[in-house]
Amino acid sequence: MVTMQGLRELPLVDSGVKKTRSVCGYCGVGCAVDILSKDDHIIGIQPAMDGPANLGALCVKGQFAYDYVHHPDRLTKPLVRREDGKLHETTWEEAIQVAADGFRNVSQKYGREAIYGVASGRTPTEADYLMQKFIRAGFGTHNIDNCSRA
Amino acid sequence: MSNPLSDLEKADVYFCIGTNMTECHPVAATRMKKALARGSKLIVADPRYIKLAEMADLYLPLRVGTDVPLLLAMAHVIVRENLIDHKFVEERTTGVDEYIEHVKKFTPEWASEITGVPAKDIEKAAILYGAADKASIYYTLGITEHICGVDNVQSLSNLALLTGHLGREGCGINPMRGQNNIQGAGDAGAAPNVYPGYQAVTKPEIREKFEKLYGRELDPERGITKVTALETSGNGIHAMLIDGENTLVSDPDRVHSEHALNSLDHLVVIDIFLTETAAMADVVLPATSWGETEGTLTNTERRIQRVRAAVTPPGESKPDWEILTMLANAMSIPGFEYDSPKEIFNEMCSVAPIYAGVDWDMVDGGQYQWPIPYKGHPGTPRLHEDGFTNGKAVFKVIGFRDPAETVDETYPVWLTTGRRLQSYHTHTQTGRASGIEYLVPEEYLEVHPDNVKKWGLKDGGWAKVVSRRGEIKIKVKSTSRSPRGTVFASFSFAETPVNILTGSGYDPNTHTAEMKVTVVRVEPL
Repeated sequence: MVTMQGLRELPLVDSGVKKTRSVCGYCGVGCAVDILSKDDHIIGIQPAMDGPANLGALCVKGQFAYDYVHHPDRLTKPLVRREDGKLHETTWEEAIQVAADGFRNVSQKYGREAIYGVASGRTPTEADYLMQKFIRAGFGTHNIDNCSRA
Repeated sequence: MSNPLSDLEKADVYFCIGTNMTECHPVAATRMKKALARGSKLIVADPRYIKLAEMADLYLPLRVGTDVPLLLAMAHVIVRENLIDHKFVEERTTGVDEYIEHVKKFTPEWASEITGVPAKDIEKAAILYGAADKASIYYTLGITEHICGVDNVQSLSNLALLTGHLGREGCGINPMRGQNNIQGAGDAGAAPNVYPGYQAVTKPEIREKFEKLYGRELDPERGITKVTALETSGNGIHAMLIDGENTLVSDPDRVHSEHALNSLDHLVVIDIFLTETAAMADVVLPATSWGETEGTLTNTERRIQRVRAAVTPPGESKPDWEILTMLANAMSIPGFEYDSPKEIFNEMCSVAPIYAGVDWDMVDGGQYQWPIPYKGHPGTPRLHEDGFTNGKAVFKVIGFRDPAETVDETYPVWLTTGRRLQSYHTHTQTGRASGIEYLVPEEYLEVHPDNVKKWGLKDGGWAKVVSRRGEIKIKVKSTSRSPRGTVFASFSFAETPVNILTGSGYDPNTHTAEMKVTVVRVEPL
């Protein structure tokens, strides 16, 4: 097992370990971290000593709870619900078509106010910006929110 | 937050209310601990004897939902002891006379009756906070998740205005945000009342600007909140696009949420796992995860930082921005010709004045905190230093009202919910991290030892918890962290869906649910 001390002393260039500067994915403090990866797998997280919010500190979640990224439960293909009532894997082409048709049909049947968007507090800002633009540019309403109320 | 995280090391007095900082924002707490080690004082107001309370110089164990009386009485003492910053009040505020008249009625003895906090301790807290040169307020959802959430926040604001503890180093009113990019989601305009950069949707000149940008007419009125959208599902709202939220587990009154999502004609969910919510969708679109995605996040101190991809995403999963671009293009919505997150971020900076001074390349080092109103501006670590955006700050006259539900013979116990250090939110991520599974394998109800005995429960045994909306089965943990008559559980575990019980009411202004107060009865199983 590689210990934190061991990781710090690892000669990164020779070991094939890649360091990627990022920000922790949990609470709102925004601790800067270095993601350590090898053979396209995350193998550890180091707190960034020069991270402006954390100055080298990191909590139990940020330090250790990263292996969900490679969990076998991860969705790898789009899913659509078919006539049997179950979700089935499909192509991106079909999934996007079904998703788009559904919004179009609802808009035609009930009006453009019948569509609602919920943006995420966990995605990058670019996704949130596009979620609000999708609703505003697509339907002309402000029926958009994020998960800050609950 | 009005002040930067670095100010957590600079106050003489910290007033932490409704924040379980050591568990929910551990690294922020670490910075405050440094100041405490140097002799700064800590006041903690919380119904539960949390770890932070152990560190406090003064602990105020208030009953759930009684923040307003506590804060009114603290203001009363500050006025009585003349700890008012007269210069600040005169130059930068309005409405102080009416406010002072109002708080004169609310003595510490009055507040003690309601809150259960000894009057002497309320006095001590007021004097400690009011007399300090640099005193800061920190709070989280313990303040906002109430039907009177806005009243609570305004009561804190009144205290800071009265004592001039605002716009300076080591001061301020500092709500700590709970999710890595909940600040960014608001900044980006993912809200029914504001465009990107908190520009009101009701202002005609702003609407015209976005009509030009987005190439279509836009409604002059606000949209509805998510709470209203779920209430009107099947009867007004018929389709939803949910990105990365496990609505079913995170939101109050799970039975209601499930019914709402079932009532939709069309539900599309973008997520990294088949969450309980995604499992209800008509279409599920697989997104890339943290560690696989390029983008920007904005933290609780308004700092814009870059996240970067370290590894290749699994299978055919795609970044959220790419999925939304595909969907918009399939619906012929104009203006979605993006090839990178950089183009999207730069577009947002060009339409949101608080981001006007930066672009993708400039935020690479993470040194900017908004507002950054123009290129060459250094950013704004501390708000309100030279004045308030809207001129003078206004004292708000606030009265006390009971929570949506209060204890009675049928439901004699207060339930309050929250988070735990080792698990996160609906456990979508931490539930799939091996070490965490070992640390907190299951949810439990924290009950005071005297109540365990009195209610016929057993430490480690099972209990049934019943509210007006439903019931759950949960293991009991005997602990004096819970006060007598109040129990606690987190909402992380789908197997113990605590949010079946919650959902008694909402703040009328923000539509934030009163997660912090539910009345229940607890029975042995």
